[in-house]
Amino acid sequence: MKRMFKFLPILFILTAFLSFNSMAQSKKQANQDTESWKYEIEAIKTGTQGSYLIKVWSYSKSPQVAIEQAKKNAVHGIIFQGFVGRQGVSGQKPLTNNSNLEFEKADYFRGFFSDNGGKYMKFVSMTTDGSVAAEDRLKIDKKTYKIGVLVSVNVSALRKELEDAGIINKLGAGF
Amino acid sequence: MIKCALVLSMMFVSINVMFGQAKRPTVMVVPSDNWCTINGFMTEWDNQGTKVKIPDYKRAIQENSDLKLVTAKIGELMADRGFVLKVLESTLKSLQSESAEDAILTSKSGAEVTESPIDKLKKTAKSDIIIQIGWTINQTGPKRSITFIMEGLDCYTDKQVAGASGTGPSSFAAELPVLLEEAVLSKLDNFNTQLQNHFEDILANGREISLRIKTFSNSASDLETEYNGEELGAIIEKWLSQNTVQGKFNTTDATAAMMFFEQVRIPLFDANSRALDSRGWAKDLQKMLKDKYTLTSKLMTKGLGQASIVIGDK
Repeated sequence: MKRMFKFLPILFILTAFLSFNSMAQSKKQANQDTESWKYEIEAIKTGTQGSYLIKVWSYSKSPQVAIEQAKKNAVHGIIFQGFVGRQGVSGQKPLTNNSNLEFEKADYFRGFFSDNGGKYMKFVSMTTDGSVAAEDRLKIDKKTYKIGVLVSVNVSALRKELEDAGIINKLGAGF
Repeated sequence: MIKCALVLSMMFVSINVMFGQAKRPTVMVVPSDNWCTINGFMTEWDNQGTKVKIPDYKRAIQENSDLKLVTAKIGELMADRGFVLKVLESTLKSLQSESAEDAILTSKSGAEVTESPIDKLKKTAKSDIIIQIGWTINQTGPKRSITFIMEGLDCYTDKQVAGASGTGPSSFAAELPVLLEEAVLSKLDNFNTQLQNHFEDILANGREISLRIKTFSNSASDLETEYNGEELGAIIEKWLSQNTVQGKFNTTDATAAMMFFEQVRIPLFDANSRALDSRGWAKDLQKMLKDKYTLTSKLMTKGLGQASIVIGDK
């Protein structure tokens, strides 16, 4: 028994390390998924001044990571992808029509979408404080969850940020 | 020395700001013809003996508060994007005073191109884009929804360069102004994306206008008259290819008495950084004909993007 107690701290550290490592792995995978467009955006409401309310479906082994990644996916999607509408809600085109923008301005976007204080967080908020409705939490195979999170994106501020940074053109730029 | 440098730098900044502001494209919002017809804001205009119906914008603005709301909302959102909105009301007022001034002036002899009040409005406003808006209210039982249509027309060509339309969600409770505001908000971003594509095209390829060359019946020379072994028509085409952006224009029709050029891409600004319209640009052609070939001509314009030069008289 005494011998077991001796190994307890080591076991504790090992468990903590493994769980941290698994979380970091999930986060890394989620970032890769964002870059390879592995998320879906559903229009909820677009008729509010300066913001879009959307539901972002993200994939991850960890539901917590998927919920957090939804914010990044929302901003990523609005800049590069846009989303289709549904009855009564207009779809929106992406903020850029340059299909290579993410490669051309890779340095800027690396910092912008950084997990440590990336600026993207400034333009996004979760409307449900991270709680997910039961029908929005789907287990699609043994390891992966598909999580739908309602996110509000401040599009006018996001556009201004990208315009001021010279990433996208201002409307009527050059005149 | 420091004072001199300061004065010079301030002058430079103010010139920069002045030209920077002058270059911003402007938009004007007007109700669509369809909306004006449905809401009874049409009036009759005598087009050289033929009665035609045209929208009565003045009455529409004065009598319909929903129109005012939509116009103000679009203006507010466009201002956010750095656009200047020409206020239709003010433009109409200045048009009215111009018309009064014109009426007391003695007109010169010779042919005139008839301009409709809408053409005159475009010329007075000198806006780059006219946004035509219209909406219908759909009623299903107690529920109401709005079908909203927004068209962006290039003032120089009258071509549609942007558009957005669709029906918003049905509502039991929402007031009409709320539904209208929601419709504008949800449509304007996509509309502006299309507008951006149009501006990028103008910047790359120049502004599009059309040019018509005619000859007076009493003119000594026509477009087939030769000067130094070259026909006048060919001389004009040569001038066009030298004075258009990347030599872009299309000769749609050419006879001895007339020539018609479409998709003529003119530079955005002249040598003095002033915005160029069809009149300013065609004046150079008129000058060239006068200086090199002693040909007198009359220059007439319609709106901002249609110029006509009639050779042989003034």
